[in-house]
Formats: sequence, structure tokens, C-alpha cells
Amino acid sequence: MEAISEQLTDALGIMILGMCLVFVFLSVLILAMKLVAKKYAPEPQEKKRNIALQPTASKPTVSPLMAAVIASAIHQHRQKA
Amino acid sequence: MEGLLAFWSESGIANFTVGQIFMMGVGCLLLFLAIAKGFEPLLLLPIGFGAILANIPNAGFTDEGGLLYFAYHVGIETGIFPLLIFMGVGALTDFGALIANPKMLLLGAAAQFGIFATLLGAIGLNLIPGFEFSMQDAAAIAIIGGADGPTAIFLASKLAPDLLGAIAVAAYSYMALVPLIQPPIMKLLTTESERQIKMEQLREVSKKEKIIFPLMVLGLTILFLPAATPLVGMFCLGNLMRESGVVDRLSSTAQNELINIVTIFLGLAVGSKLSADKFLQVETLGILVLGAVAFGIGTATGVLMAKLMSKLSGGKINPLLGAAGVSAVPMAARVVNKVGLESNNQNFLLMHAMGPNVAGVLGSAVAAGVLLAVLG
Repeated sequence: MEAISEQLTDALGIMILGMCLVFVFLSVLILAMKLVAKKYAPEPQEKKRNIALQPTASKPTVSPLMAAVIASAIHQHRQKA
Repeated sequence: MEGLLAFWSESGIANFTVGQIFMMGVGCLLLFLAIAKGFEPLLLLPIGFGAILANIPNAGFTDEGGLLYFAYHVGIETGIFPLLIFMGVGALTDFGALIANPKMLLLGAAAQFGIFATLLGAIGLNLIPGFEFSMQDAAAIAIIGGADGPTAIFLASKLAPDLLGAIAVAAYSYMALVPLIQPPIMKLLTTESERQIKMEQLREVSKKEKIIFPLMVLGLTILFLPAATPLVGMFCLGNLMRESGVVDRLSSTAQNELINIVTIFLGLAVGSKLSADKFLQVETLGILVLGAVAFGIGTATGVLMAKLMSKLSGGKINPLLGAAGVSAVPMAARVVNKVGLESNNQNFLLMHAMGPNVAGVLGSAVAAGVLLAVLG
């Protein structure tokens, strides 16, 4: 009987120690993951989309004069056909 | 006439013992569960067949020189089979969901309480006459609560080889029963409104993060818990092969051919431990009961931890996720998804549940390492 109660105390000790170790280990891992994420996480999607959209919006690649020329060329082409 | 008598005395009918017939029945039951019910067929089928082979009188499968004897001796006694399986599981696992939301590791840690509570329970069973579990036996039984087959077999082969058959069968049967065991516990501990909580979409994860992750896990294990490095190391090797993208051939072998071949022999070798003299003992009954309790407690503490995190985060975390903290990948995550959908048919929790689910694999490997370090 005494042996069992001694074993039970041991088991309780291992339980507390074990749970603490598991939590500490995984918490350290969380910290490490956050550090890595700070350095290597990709930019959030929305920002990327903005960056991708901006150049097309702010820098028209076809000048107004050119656009007029193209428009008239298309017009002529359509009339021919 | 003499020839006929000699033939008769060698026949199966003349040599059967009741125990052997009973264990063949158990083997057939496992085959039935695998084939007709679809419970973990990949393992229960070879285990069931192994159980039948191991109990054939005069066939000598499990005697020295027999096929099952060598399969066990080479693969399980040495711990090689479960480790190779772990490498394959690593190659199959995508840690993206966990990397995107590292807090989920806490759920994987909380669910391991089932393991340590069962350690206490197994020692407590010694109060009943007929049970005599040593601390090592108790630890090997308790790891069933981690719901991770290879980890359970690995630890049992190191700490309590005599109980390996019962422990492996219990571990895999309960993993198959996850969809039945978990939902009642999950529903009992959460309210309807909690189950309906929707979660934010996970952020994207870069390739670099995915490559660094297994190396980081290995590094921490080396520093703090070298006893867990066989399990964690093989797991990380498999995962690195997957994520590095430069050894697709090796990665695909690890997650297909290799894991399949090892599964066949692992199943047979575990089945060979289901021989009448080893399995038909009162301890087996205790192990089956303790395993179920371990599983239930693990699920419950996972859910309770998730509830706490949900409260602290102002209701951003669905407490159902906690149940995925026991490993059983991907079954537990699917169960979470299913229970979540029952409360809100627009709420898909699968990706979110994969985080705590793979965290559970790491958690149970760490718990196994702790038990090995303390008791091994």
C-alpha cells in the first residue's frame, strides 16, 4: 500500500514536470516562430495588390497623342473593311 | 496408419488452444473493423492478419527464425519502424497553418495533459488487485492519450515491450474511433454560440519560413530534449525533404512507397504481439480502459485551453479547435470541422484545425521525450 502511494506521488511529480516542460518547450517554439515570421513572413496580400495596382493607375503607358493616333488608325481600318 | 496419425498430430485442429482461437477471433474482429467499417484500415488490416498468423499452432511465425519474429525483432524492438513512419508523416505534413498562427501550439500542449493524467491513472489502477504496472508500464500506456500510433509504439518498445501489442492495438483503435469519442466531449464543454465563432483567414506563409521551421524544431529539441530527437529528428527530416523542394524524389518516396512498405511490416509485427499468452491478461483490459480515458481527458483539456484562449482573445478563437490538439492527423481536424459545420454551416474550420492538429504531433513527441528522459 505504501509503495503505491509513493508511486502515486512520483507519478504526480512527473505529471506536473511533464506538463510544464511541454508548455515551456512549445512556448519557446512560439517565440522562435514569431522571430522568424518577423524576418521572413511575406507581405500581407492587400499591400501587394496596392503595389501592383498603383503603377498602372499613376503612370499611363500610352500618351494622349498616341491614343488619338491609334484610335484614328482603327477608325480608318474599320472603314476600309 | 502411422503416417495418418502423425499428420493428425501436426494438424491445426489437434493443436488449437482456446486462447489461440479467441485471439484469432480478435484478429478477425480487427479485419472486420478495417474492411466493413473502414476504421484505420491501413493498420488494422495487417495487424488483424498478423494476429491470425501469430496464433496458428505449429506454424512458428513468432518463434525464432519465423517471419513475424524477425519483423518484430528488426523493426520494432529497435524502434526503426515507428521512426521511418514518423519520417513519412513529416513528409506528409504541411506546417503552413501552424506557422501562420503559432499560438495554436498551446492547444497541442494542453491536449497532452491526457497523457500525464493517465500516468497517474495507471499507477492508481495498482490499487486494484491483479494490476501491477511499473512506472515504465504506466508511461507507455499513458502515451496512448497522445493519439499518435508511431509515438506510442516507439515509447512502448523502449519502456514496456511486454505490453506493446495491447498498447498498439488500443492506440490505433482509439485513433479510428476519434469521430465517435470526441464530439460528445466537445459539445459538452462548449456552448452553441462558441461553436459558431468564425475565425479570421490565415496569413500566407513564405517558403523560407517553411524551410526554417523543421530546422528550428530540431534545434530546440537538441538543446532541451535530446531524448525526443529520434522522433522529432526523423519527423523534421521528412518535413525538410518536403519543404526544401530540391529532393522531390526522396520526399515522394518517404510519403508513399517507404511509409507503405513499413506500414505493412509494422502492422504484421504488432499483430504478432497479439498472441494468446501475452494478450489475454487482465492488464490488457486495464490498458484499453485507460487508453479511452486518456483520449477523453486530452480532448477535454484541449477544448478547455481553447476556451481560455478564446476568452482572452475576445472571442476570436473557436474553442472546438482545442479538440484537434490531440494528434491523430488529420482525423481530429476533420472532426472539428464537422462539429463546427453542425452549428454553422458556413463555418469551415478545417484549415484552422490543422494548426493545433500538427501541433499535437509535436506535443506528443515532446511528451514522449520527457517520459523517456525521466524514466528511460
